[in-house]
Amino acid sequence: MSDRWLTSMFIAAAMIAVVPSALTNAQTGASGSSKPPEAAQAQTPKAPAKAPAAKAATGKAWTPIKTPWGDPDLQGVWNDATSTPMQRPNGSTTDVLDDAESATQFEEKLAYDLSRDRRDGGPEVDVNRAYNEHWMDARRLKITSDRRTSLIVDPADGRIPPTVPLTPERQKIRAERAAAADRFNAGMPDVATELSLPVRCIIRTDSPPYLPTIYNNNFQIFQSPGYVVIAPEMIHSARIIPMDGRPHLGKTLLQWLGDTRGHWEGTTLVLETTNFRTDDGVAYQGANPATYKITERFTRVAADSINYEFTITDPATWTKPWTAVIPWTKVDPGEQMYEYMCHEDNFDIVHLLTGARTREKNGEGKR
Amino acid sequence: MRSRFGRVMILLGAAAVISVFWLTVLPTAGQQAPPARQSAPFPPYKAPRLNGHPDLNGLWQAFVTANIDLQDHEAQSGPHPEVLGAYGGWPAGQSIVEGGEIPYKPEALAKKRQNLLNRTKVDVSNDKTWHDLGDPEFKCYMPGLPRATYMPFPFQIVQGTSPYILMAYEFATATRTIRMDWKGEAPTDTWMGWSRGRWEGETLVVDVTGQREESWFDRAGDYHSDALHVVERFTPASPYHMIYEATIEDPKVFTRPWKISFPLYRRMERNVQALEYKCVPWTEELLYGKFKKPS
Amino acid sequence: MRTTLCAAVVSLGLLLAPGAKPLSAHHAFSSEFDAKRPVKFEGTVTKMAWINPHAWIYMDVMKADGTTEEWMVEAGTPNTLLRRGFTKASLMPGTKVRVDGYQSKDGALRVNGRDLTLPDGRTLFLGSGEPGAPPAK
Repeated sequence: MSDRWLTSMFIAAAMIAVVPSALTNAQTGASGSSKPPEAAQAQTPKAPAKAPAAKAATGKAWTPIKTPWGDPDLQGVWNDATSTPMQRPNGSTTDVLDDAESATQFEEKLAYDLSRDRRDGGPEVDVNRAYNEHWMDARRLKITSDRRTSLIVDPADGRIPPTVPLTPERQKIRAERAAAADRFNAGMPDVATELSLPVRCIIRTDSPPYLPTIYNNNFQIFQSPGYVVIAPEMIHSARIIPMDGRPHLGKTLLQWLGDTRGHWEGTTLVLETTNFRTDDGVAYQGANPATYKITERFTRVAADSINYEFTITDPATWTKPWTAVIPWTKVDPGEQMYEYMCHEDNFDIVHLLTGARTREKNGEGKR
Repeated sequence: MRSRFGRVMILLGAAAVISVFWLTVLPTAGQQAPPARQSAPFPPYKAPRLNGHPDLNGLWQAFVTANIDLQDHEAQSGPHPEVLGAYGGWPAGQSIVEGGEIPYKPEALAKKRQNLLNRTKVDVSNDKTWHDLGDPEFKCYMPGLPRATYMPFPFQIVQGTSPYILMAYEFATATRTIRMDWKGEAPTDTWMGWSRGRWEGETLVVDVTGQREESWFDRAGDYHSDALHVVERFTPASPYHMIYEATIEDPKVFTRPWKISFPLYRRMERNVQALEYKCVPWTEELLYGKFKKPS
Repeated sequence: MRTTLCAAVVSLGLLLAPGAKPLSAHHAFSSEFDAKRPVKFEGTVTKMAWINPHAWIYMDVMKADGTTEEWMVEAGTPNTLLRRGFTKASLMPGTKVRVDGYQSKDGALRVNGRDLTLPDGRTLFLGSGEPGAPPAK
């Protein structure tokens, strides 16, 4: 199970709303694990289109630029925020919204559901909307320019494939994780180490696949001869990717962010990552680190646009591989990434733990 | 003459001749002024170019022990030898401070001594005093600059053709980005500061402002205020060495600016790479253990 | 005219991929802050900590009996504000701010800052830091 903490901000918002109207919506674009908004589709089913992965938004040919040492140039600060949900809304078979009007309506509806400025829906809903839109990334209210109805492009239904039955051992781990999550949701965690990896500030958006979230959706790509380096804004870390064909680290040297090797296929940067630690939460959505594979592909399709495509495979978790495409947009030259340290000032952990102990003393939290 | 006296004299004379012979042949090393190379340890070096500038790319590491103590320090047991034995020991090292000593204001020295006494104490029960105790490194917090440079871990310099140079440190995956030829000031204080760089011939000069006042320079309690201003110089000295210099200025704590300097070495192992040193999980019991649910 | 796709975009509580277990909410504000304890007050800023993962605004709030108590207001990442030109000088001690939010479940004087406004009604940190100023380079 994944520890996509910020996606769960939206899940949390969604958790409250059980009324079937457009009250709140989780940031479905941010979450591979959240369910997308229920939607009744206009009944004109279309044949699923092929993945529009490498199509330039404007359709115009763009001449790729290269670094002085001959690699495709991806350098810069890029933003991946979008409102397009990871999974196509239930009941919808439209993969791309053809006409401008339906695209606009889709976007406006998502933006309304995601808006943090709304105060309606009662306090249970309202408390999870903190803080206001001006703390959020405004780009996350826009659908992708290619108007897809889901970030997932394969399978054709735009949804994460079903899971396979889990081994008893993994079921046990999931049950423990769910129990810890329940305690967290109630504000009554037992111990710091049962909190999620993001809340503990161990990994956040920096763990692949890179997914949009409510803010700090920025990645800086650096290149030097023989290397591509991706530095996500949250948390701080630099994914230093050798491009020289050297082998992966030995099988027993595992890392929280795995070990990545890259190569070029034409103008596409292809990344293979292995050597993930076996801790729960390291592999996406609680996939099995021993059998989990993630391949990422970055193709710059315009001066200000990269297509980020990832394919996840884990036969021990999902019935088939699945692929999503998320466009990255270059930020203004005057904009930049800012430091995001986390563990250093992580007051939340102490607030949660001391709050739980106080409430236990007051008789709360009997489970 | 066959007297004993005569034979002794002949031997002494021969010894004298042999001595004079050897003394004239040997180099007169001990008899000159110190050789000129002591003041210029490296011949001038011009690094290969990348985009017109010295190419600093690579995996670099310092081998001084300044992270323990910037100044002279003896070998010591480190904390809790009754638990760690010789594993916990720290080596001796010579000062990397020019002139040997850090020029603290007299009243500021008291805080350094207090830091030293409290370096392995923590108390995060109150947000307002969260950072009052303990060496940030002990808590797996960010080292700031210049400390990140002399931590006993490698760091990668990534220099391309964008207006930014990245330095990525193995310790706690700390990173900092150097904005080249950037005028804007730090909008707020950060743990790794606000780095602005420019080229001066063969040297990358980096101006670092806006550092969080809570970071320390070493485990000996050497510290600074929010007025800290660091100017670093990275000068390649050979294909395998880079000279690092840093001038530290903080009028609230020191009587004058002071300077440190040491070489950085290029890591040469085949397929060497920076690995992960994510120490946060090792500090959770230390920091948060007392707030857990009693069993 | 709305297409049915858009009209029916709703959320359903736990969002589940088919077959997947529910994810924990990894920073549900409702875990820490109490929907049943809404608070509204005006206070004076004593300090703003521009830090991650949350910025914090410390405020002195006068009670009805004339004494003052200190509240901490939890806010979002300062990085979003920095990108719009705000800096640590943008909220100085002494500024009066109105807070509308929900108090910590354990009764501590902490609130998540749902709505922060100046006394004249302007939203705090709305817009850009310096009207008309380009981003510093």
